[in-house]
Amino acid sequence: MRDLIDLWVGAQAWLFETLVSPVLFHFGLMAWYEPGYGAVEFVMLGVIQIAVIAIGMRYFERRWPLEKAGRDDGLIMVDRVYTVLNKLGIIPLAIFILTYPLVQEIELSVRSWGYVPPRLERLLPWIGDNALLSFLVYFVLYDFAAYWLHRGQHAFGWWWALHSLHHSQRRMTVWTDDRNHVIDDLLITLALVLFSQFVGVQPGEYVVILMVGRLIESWSHANVDMSFGWLGERLLVGPRFHRLHHALSTPAERHIQDHNFAPVFPIWDILFGTAIYDEKIRPTGVDDAAVDADNGRGWIVQQATVFGRFLRALMPRFRRRASVP
Amino acid sequence: MNRLSIAALAFSLVVSGAARADSVIILNSDEASYSIVSRSARTEVVRLPVGREPHHLILSPDGKEVLIGSTATNELLSLDIKTGERKRVVKDILDPYHLGFSPDGKWFVTAAYRLDHVDIYHADGFRLAGRIFIDGLPSHIAFDTESKTVFVTLQQSGRVAAFDLATQTLKWNMPVGNAPAGIVMLPDDKRLLVALTGEDRIVTVDPKDGAVTGSLQTGKGAHNFFPKGDGRHYFLSNRVEGLVTLIDTKDEPKVVASVRIPGGPDCMDITPDGRELWVTQRFLRRVAIVDIDTMKVVGSVPVGKSPHGVFMLKSTATVTAGAGIPVRAASTAGDRK
Repeated sequence: MRDLIDLWVGAQAWLFETLVSPVLFHFGLMAWYEPGYGAVEFVMLGVIQIAVIAIGMRYFERRWPLEKAGRDDGLIMVDRVYTVLNKLGIIPLAIFILTYPLVQEIELSVRSWGYVPPRLERLLPWIGDNALLSFLVYFVLYDFAAYWLHRGQHAFGWWWALHSLHHSQRRMTVWTDDRNHVIDDLLITLALVLFSQFVGVQPGEYVVILMVGRLIESWSHANVDMSFGWLGERLLVGPRFHRLHHALSTPAERHIQDHNFAPVFPIWDILFGTAIYDEKIRPTGVDDAAVDADNGRGWIVQQATVFGRFLRALMPRFRRRASVP
Repeated sequence: MNRLSIAALAFSLVVSGAARADSVIILNSDEASYSIVSRSARTEVVRLPVGREPHHLILSPDGKEVLIGSTATNELLSLDIKTGERKRVVKDILDPYHLGFSPDGKWFVTAAYRLDHVDIYHADGFRLAGRIFIDGLPSHIAFDTESKTVFVTLQQSGRVAAFDLATQTLKWNMPVGNAPAGIVMLPDDKRLLVALTGEDRIVTVDPKDGAVTGSLQTGKGAHNFFPKGDGRHYFLSNRVEGLVTLIDTKDEPKVVASVRIPGGPDCMDITPDGRELWVTQRFLRRVAIVDIDTMKVVGSVPVGKSPHGVFMLKSTATVTAGAGIPVRAASTAGDRK
């Protein structure tokens, strides 16, 4: 294990000291020295995630596809762009730079008031005795927050305007998870970072939770005909469970997408009455021509179009003007 | 290696090797823990939890305790200097990033790096005497030998500020260079050395008025000092360059030796016999061991994530899990290199 850690941190230190540190030093950005080192690890983890998706998960998609190859295959390409931009840290970096001052301000204000984030290990010392258990507890807490944020994305019109981009994909694959508007990503990141700080998730734990969680979410979007079994489907979100959340609504199932919100642990849907388990295979997408038009567009056009949709949902006056022919 | 084996190793160190196996405390700043390392075995014996983001630690004036500052949990953890056992937790010490006692032992000062203030406490009972808000990331502190003034580097604004301890008022606030961090008062009480992490040099500063009176090129990312113990030589870590330099401060400071330490070398301490310098390698999750006579790296010990502060205990830590403290064993057989 230690050899693996040495290999990992050795590569991280080499990349940082060769590529990043000289740039930060040259431009007098030493205040970003430690965050810069963390960013290198984020990119390295992103490369691994892309490899796991492109090699591991894609194998299952090719071997046991749910939807056969067809004329909509070209729609997948833009999702690959989203995945690369996200996993290699380009969008997260932009979000980090944008949100850092706000997160800092909130954190420092709270700290200067004397608030100290709790650590579960202090309440339940036996948790601290087991690193895996400790990680799992924080992972569950994190996922609980993510579940309610996901419900918010569907409950508020302005937020749905952003999130609908994610749902507009008719050819759902392992690449679809990262297909989000940058403002949507920004809001979710901000909320989850603040929540994590509030409950005392360590920075190191946060990175691992993020990586494991996002990999599971990538898998849950996979175009595969596989099940974890009765029990497994209730312990971990899989493709069958999550595909229902992306199902195209019909007159008979008008609110089908208001189910199976959980990102990783289905327990939240079971507890809050939003879980549906069935074997029926449904097409995915959104029953709204304006949203469905996202398909076939490139990254930049999608971002611009959805931003307009977001503004119209946010400002009724703007919406009326926009609706005039 | 399972926990039982770790406990057995720890126990054997306690009962059989106390005379030769002094312990070292390393603060793992990114994982809220500290490692106790066997100096003779050069291996991590145990890893114990501590408040979040522990960065620096300091010996108490009576020499009986070592205090660990946990910056994100606003507290100090006190360990027994001889045994390493936890003695008490001092609460409500806001953001104790860098910390120190005045030479007369009357004042305790912290630099709240992220909260932008300097706190001056009466050391007796840690009663806050004054909190001075000052922009620019208060980073490291040093005292004059008369215990009248504390000097604080301001990493973001590129300045050093001097505060009167008795009145908790600003004496001067002067620019010194890009990203000043480590600061040390030389025994003559007439020169401060300030490491410029944003540059490749240290500067000499007049403690009377903050005027920069000299400069010495050392290495990129000059960061922190540690005295060799002879009143004349000081080790300096250069984080960007990956270098530790030995500086002779007699007359004009000059570099007399250096050793390459990769991985962002940071804090240092010297073994009680004066033969080894231990240097935390923040990025490599290790502590490098340097033979001081030859200035060569002679060992490296794996510890936790982002190791920062390092401190030599005076005897073997008992590493018992007293007071209900959970033990998180971290070492493995493969750790020993």
